[in-house]
Amino acid sequence: MRFWKSWIVTAKDLSVFRNNKYILYSLIAMPLLMGLMIPVMLIYTLQAQAALLTQAQLIESATSLVNMFSSFFVIAVVGLPTIIASYSFIGEKLEKSLEPLLATPTTDSELLFGKSLGAFIPCIGATYIGELIFVIVIDGWSIINLGTLLLPTMYWALVTGILIPLAGVLSVETNIIISSRVNDIRAAQQVGGIIIFPLIILMVLPSVIQIIPMVTLALILSGGLAVADVGLFYLSKAIFQREEILTKWK
Amino acid sequence: MIETENLTRKFGELTAVDNVTLRVNKGEVFGFLGPNGAGKTTTVRMLCCLISKTSGKARVGDFDVDQEEDRLKIRKMVGYLAGDVGLYENLSAYKNLDFYGKLYEVPSEKREENTKRLLQLLGIWERKDDAVAGLSKGTKQKLAIARALIHEPQVLFLDEPTANLDPLAAKTVCDFILELKKEKRTIFLNTHNLDEAERVCDRIAVLKTKLIRVGSPEDLERSISSRKTVVHLESIVDSVLAAVKKLGTVKNVSTSENKLILDMDDPEKDNPQLVRAIVAAGGNIQYVTEERSTLEDVYLKLVRET
Repeated sequence: MRFWKSWIVTAKDLSVFRNNKYILYSLIAMPLLMGLMIPVMLIYTLQAQAALLTQAQLIESATSLVNMFSSFFVIAVVGLPTIIASYSFIGEKLEKSLEPLLATPTTDSELLFGKSLGAFIPCIGATYIGELIFVIVIDGWSIINLGTLLLPTMYWALVTGILIPLAGVLSVETNIIISSRVNDIRAAQQVGGIIIFPLIILMVLPSVIQIIPMVTLALILSGGLAVADVGLFYLSKAIFQREEILTKWK
Repeated sequence: MIETENLTRKFGELTAVDNVTLRVNKGEVFGFLGPNGAGKTTTVRMLCCLISKTSGKARVGDFDVDQEEDRLKIRKMVGYLAGDVGLYENLSAYKNLDFYGKLYEVPSEKREENTKRLLQLLGIWERKDDAVAGLSKGTKQKLAIARALIHEPQVLFLDEPTANLDPLAAKTVCDFILELKKEKRTIFLNTHNLDEAERVCDRIAVLKTKLIRVGSPEDLERSISSRKTVVHLESIVDSVLAAVKKLGTVKNVSTSENKLILDMDDPEKDNPQLVRAIVAAGGNIQYVTEERSTLEDVYLKLVRET
């Protein structure tokens, strides 16, 4: 596989997204919303607790809450591909640009990888920007009010470094598979949302109810996602074939 | 340049292309005529290695569509204009071409040069920075043709290049195909448009799942030969009609308004004698013309009979 060929497709898709206001606004709104809203909720909760707890207890509670809220960024990275990957594949279908694209001297894998990367990069980029805002606001508040930095933690590092990219890949792959079967962007987004919803529950709920240690939970979820990613990769590869696309994609 | 032997494609029970054997020579403009669902697009898709064949053989250039390692080489040497223009609507015309130029591995400098040359040739250079969404249907079609040529392919497959275009835009596209013909490119033209086929094609194949007939437009027209001599008279009088019927060379004669329509075996040889006989019988000839079957007559006859 020639990665430079895939990158040409990725760069084109990124350019298309830049010119699509709906996608652009989604990509800007999400990090701002999550990066600011989550810390505000968190800080509000911590300030309410401040009068009842000692400094040490408050730091412990804050760390626990910060870890828990870090998991919420998984929602972003799982949700964004329902917008972007749907546009990426169904957009090509609607513009009927897949056939000329498939007629170029590129392999199916190069095209699939290029398009997947084109959907993955903005999603992960926007999620990380949201995380960055989250870290800055939380640490800014904690250094002023608690005299210490709450982030990074081991759990946060695992979520950010492993869980979020794996969840993003899973969501992109799921949306490729959905896109091959529907013709309408909104329908794809709805189906994508329905399929992705249980995944979000699976990832976020255990961190909220804390049935097992958070780090162990992140490792278990990462392992599960890695296995699912590999399985879905082969499935999306089987679906994304010239013959299939031209004769069976509806 | 293009060769097929018993090329067949089935979709389940349906046979879309049935044992098609043809040969397209280098530098030839080859027209592929047929009704909707005749298998024209399926044939082109097989030749461009977009879909596989069920049986038979096909080669483009020196490459076999069956060989995995040859497929990329075929795609690199051919240009393909699909039935739908399929451009990226919110990218500019220039960016659309640049993207495809990169995918076809055209070096940066050559890409710029080809993009400029093609857009200028097609009269859309001034609109190079406009988003495709704002271009007219005809301009989009021109842009799609430019895209198919960005890598200077040896073989060009055009699927209905003038479909849905207004007459002026269709003429521009036809003229452009004739320009490409001068450059000795091999062009495989799928079309419904018989005038366009007659105007630009060296040879034409009529397809209706099976290949019905192949030949030059003239050969096809002659194949259902019905050349007639038409004599336009000031008025038809009985003496003229009688004189014409007396001629042994006239097989059949009919009249329509002030015209005599005559079947003759060898019009070039017998027309002078015919003219003399009419004049001698007192007929005032305004002009003499030939009526022969058109490509449309041939096409309709072949398609209806199959």
